[in-house]
Amino acid sequence: MIISRYFSQSQLKGLLKAGDVLVPGTENSPGFSETGCIAHIDRMAEFLSEDDLSGLKMVLSVFRWLPSWKIALIFRLCSKNEHFPSFIGAGLRMLEIGVKGAVFSPYYAGLSKPGYNGKKVHDAIGWHTRLAIRPDELPEKKMRINYESPDKKDIAIIYERAKESADQIRQWPVKKRLEFITALKSVVLENQEKILDRIQADTGKSRFDAITAEIFGVLDFLDYLEKNAIKFLSERKVATPFALMGKSSKIWFEPLGVVLMISPWNYPFYQAVVPIMQAFIAGNAVVFKPSSATPLKGLVEELLEQADFRPGWVQVVYGSGSEIGDALVDAGPDKIFLIGSQSVGRHIMERAAKQLIPVELELGGKDPMVVFEDVNVDRAAAGAVWGAFTTTGQSCTSVERLFIHESIYEQFKDVLVKQTLELSQKKSSDPETDIGPMCTIDQVKKIADQVEDARNRGAKFLTGENWDGKSPFIPPMIIEGVTSDMLIDRQENFGPVLPIYKFSSEAQVIELANDPEYGLSASVWSKDLERARRVARAINTGNVSINNVMLTEGNHALPFGGTGKSGFGRYKGEFGFYAFANIKSVLEDRDSSKMEANWFPYTKKKYRIFSDFTRALYSQGRLSGMVKGAYHGLKLEAHVKKLAGNKFRKYQ
Amino acid sequence: MYDFIIAGAGISGSFIADALCRAGCRCLMLEAGMGFARHEYPANGMDGNSRLYWSGGLELGHDSKIAFLRPKVVGGGSVVNQALVDRFDADALDSWRSVSKVSFFNEKDMAPLYDAAESRIEIQEIPADFRNKNAMIFGQGFENLGYKHAPLRRAQSNCRLEEGNCCIECLNGCRLGSKQSMPETVLKSALENGLDLISEMQVMKINDKKGMIEVEARDSRAGSALFRAGNLVLAGGAVGNAAMLLRSGFDRKLPAIGTGFYCHPQFMSFGLYDEVINSHLGAFQAFKSDDKGFRKGGFKLENVYAGPEGIALLIPGFGKKHQQYMEKLPHFACIEVCTRDTDPGRVSISKKGKILIRKERNQEDIRRYEKGRKVIEQIFRSTGAKQVIHGKIGIGLHLMGCCPIGVDPADSVVDPEFRLHGYKNIFAADSSIFPNAPGINPSLTIMALSAKAGADIARSL
Repeated sequence: MIISRYFSQSQLKGLLKAGDVLVPGTENSPGFSETGCIAHIDRMAEFLSEDDLSGLKMVLSVFRWLPSWKIALIFRLCSKNEHFPSFIGAGLRMLEIGVKGAVFSPYYAGLSKPGYNGKKVHDAIGWHTRLAIRPDELPEKKMRINYESPDKKDIAIIYERAKESADQIRQWPVKKRLEFITALKSVVLENQEKILDRIQADTGKSRFDAITAEIFGVLDFLDYLEKNAIKFLSERKVATPFALMGKSSKIWFEPLGVVLMISPWNYPFYQAVVPIMQAFIAGNAVVFKPSSATPLKGLVEELLEQADFRPGWVQVVYGSGSEIGDALVDAGPDKIFLIGSQSVGRHIMERAAKQLIPVELELGGKDPMVVFEDVNVDRAAAGAVWGAFTTTGQSCTSVERLFIHESIYEQFKDVLVKQTLELSQKKSSDPETDIGPMCTIDQVKKIADQVEDARNRGAKFLTGENWDGKSPFIPPMIIEGVTSDMLIDRQENFGPVLPIYKFSSEAQVIELANDPEYGLSASVWSKDLERARRVARAINTGNVSINNVMLTEGNHALPFGGTGKSGFGRYKGEFGFYAFANIKSVLEDRDSSKMEANWFPYTKKKYRIFSDFTRALYSQGRLSGMVKGAYHGLKLEAHVKKLAGNKFRKYQ
Repeated sequence: MYDFIIAGAGISGSFIADALCRAGCRCLMLEAGMGFARHEYPANGMDGNSRLYWSGGLELGHDSKIAFLRPKVVGGGSVVNQALVDRFDADALDSWRSVSKVSFFNEKDMAPLYDAAESRIEIQEIPADFRNKNAMIFGQGFENLGYKHAPLRRAQSNCRLEEGNCCIECLNGCRLGSKQSMPETVLKSALENGLDLISEMQVMKINDKKGMIEVEARDSRAGSALFRAGNLVLAGGAVGNAAMLLRSGFDRKLPAIGTGFYCHPQFMSFGLYDEVINSHLGAFQAFKSDDKGFRKGGFKLENVYAGPEGIALLIPGFGKKHQQYMEKLPHFACIEVCTRDTDPGRVSISKKGKILIRKERNQEDIRRYEKGRKVIEQIFRSTGAKQVIHGKIGIGLHLMGCCPIGVDPADSVVDPEFRLHGYKNIFAADSSIFPNAPGINPSLTIMALSAKAGADIARSL
């Protein structure tokens, strides 16, 4: 797909059609569309006069809907222009020269799309020129940038490129930026299996987890952007108060510039594309650092290139956070967006504070699931099993603490254990596999510590008790008897370990569910929706699902983010656009001779009238207040006018 | 505070700026086009047309019969022309003198001016060894038919023909740095002598404020800017100067602004041969016609060639057949007829501020073209061409007139001292002051007149 700053998709189709009529291709020469030279049409369109461009656009829009033979007929008419009365003849000549120029110029300049391997136009027409020039007279423009473990110099160049790109993206209206989103959507669809292979190779997660969370999730988000970005990023008019009568107020949502984005290893594709695209649609260039554990090396760049994204718009840098993270922050992005752990979040924020770079942090959670006694046990248990073990528990919003009402505790536990034991676990592209191994050895070690600590302090393992503490295939574990002195009760687990707890009353479970540290996500299950909502409100968290689990993320119209030490700021949904926007307040007044009451000179009389005006406007009794306010307002205006007149005379 | 604002960085602007800067004046030059370093000039016709000309390369007149190539780049015409430098003959100068009543339009007075201009650039003829087959056909045809031809004089320093250069990039600037364009020569000198140059800054309007000049300009992103100076030199060419003056309402006092527009309409014809010609190889231009009969007939022939983007536009038709013609490009020879037009056109400004060019060809102009075309046909046939294709679109690339020089403010705009009639501080000496079409390539004469204007203005201060 080709995206032009100047032509719509339908106009480009019109140009391709006209191109293939004018230059259909012969045995020796390629056809117009075959070469893909249309990819360079902006190089020409940029310099056309406004009138010529709009004329050409109009013609191409018409061509889009004409069959080729009719377009050919039009050009045949054009070539007979001299037989027409002067003004029609002139129009035909203009049309002919305009469209032929747009087709012949890129084609006969020998341009083609990247990777074009077909017949070369200049070979076909025997056009072989040679510029006898020494290499030192043509300085190499391209600088090689090392994106893998870049050093400080590379990073400086990367940011320079990003800044230039940001200036470029800023020029594209949101509607135009959306064409890239549309293109990306079809590229993701076309490459679905390949992307899944790459995700599985890097993360080991099950194919089903990968397709639902990463492919479906990404496509759904892009779709959301298509439907909502214009609405939320358009200029917004706001009310202008009475005292500022005659002026207008609005809000512009402008790009920030360059956003540094750091993503974790658990959802390497989703956590790359979604925040990058939300930043891009708001007009920013992105420097993106994926996790060094699951970098999907080259994949995002390749897909973006296919979707016609220009190379500097999104640059992916590779390397471990400890090695290049600081340098990426120090290079001075306009904003930092991090999805990751508390410790990384703290470090980045400290580092960014030195330059007062705004940060937005999406950190971990210790998410509670609260199950009341009136639920459908099979369904709620199935929800708990999925919520705790999907992606082998490596989600920031996975269920990490399950609170079950004491009256159904034993029954629920039995179902839970039974369902858990049925889960299949292997590393395989077989779509029937439920969960895969752990993604990183570091995380395996962390979980081994928590599990051993729990075992030593007397927790009881209902499943998974045979794990050797080393294998990345950590079996899903359900444990009970967890007490507050255990690591597993306090630390984020980020693995397939689910402690279950008994509770007796609503008040008690609210207290238990409210973690002193985290507040990312939660779920409340009860047939009694009143009660469920009551509890959902009482839990200190950024996201809550009622009678479902981890589902706020299933709707891209909902913002996502945490409270407490789970981070701050929101991305996705309407508020997500503003995470990457400079929300610019604009107050517009007209040029006139009118002076403002609050400007100098201050006089006793002005003070008195202003004081009356204030009292009238804001005292009780709305209507009379307005009338009185208007009266004093007029008085004030007259006085200011008089003062201005005096001043003016003084200077004359 | 500047002494002079110079609107336009072409040949005239560069010569005048250089003279004024050398005389110690503070000068600011404003140019609508971009500035390029030598190696940055575009490498193909598409980018060349887009970046170095107004309106993406082709600007159409009112009836779309002639396409105007109007340079928009630092260096102006000297960056994009074919670099032909010829002195005007007695015929051209006499006709100017009789129309304008300006006495120095005679060969004797002009000779030292031409000498001065030529001293600022290198001028070469193409050595016989490097004439290509297209040139040979041109020469052979002239000999067969008994017409006179002569070697071309080009403003170039080193086209590296012996190193096998065959770039045909003259119309896109010159990455070799051979062409003696202003940025390589006189403009360079002016900048060294203290000229300030702002590119991508188009002069929109001129306000005469009691002897002080105020210039409203617009940058490439439509941002506006205001400049002030004691004097103004208009150096935007025929269309550019007319547009600036008309937008500013100067035609109320000087009704001749925009009138007398000439452009030497040129038409390319192609001869199709069995053998391979490869007109683009080697030096692609070597000869010009030098025949008294042609001069009298009001046309001249040129040995030229163009890039495939341009040729494709000139060859009639479309589709497979058109493409098959293009595939025969190596078998093409090319000759151009350039007519000395007699039908004055007019440049005006629409209500929306758009430039309108009205340019017709009267019976005489068409007759002149047809005479030339007939000779081309004969040349091609006499040298074995199997087919002759005449380009359909006329090209106007010597844009002249609109502010003609003369003594009477009723029918001229600029006085013999290069001042706008009635304004002591607004000057012009570029192709816009040409009183009619000389029938000879204008660039050397623009240099000569501008060198004189620069010296005269500097002396008068």
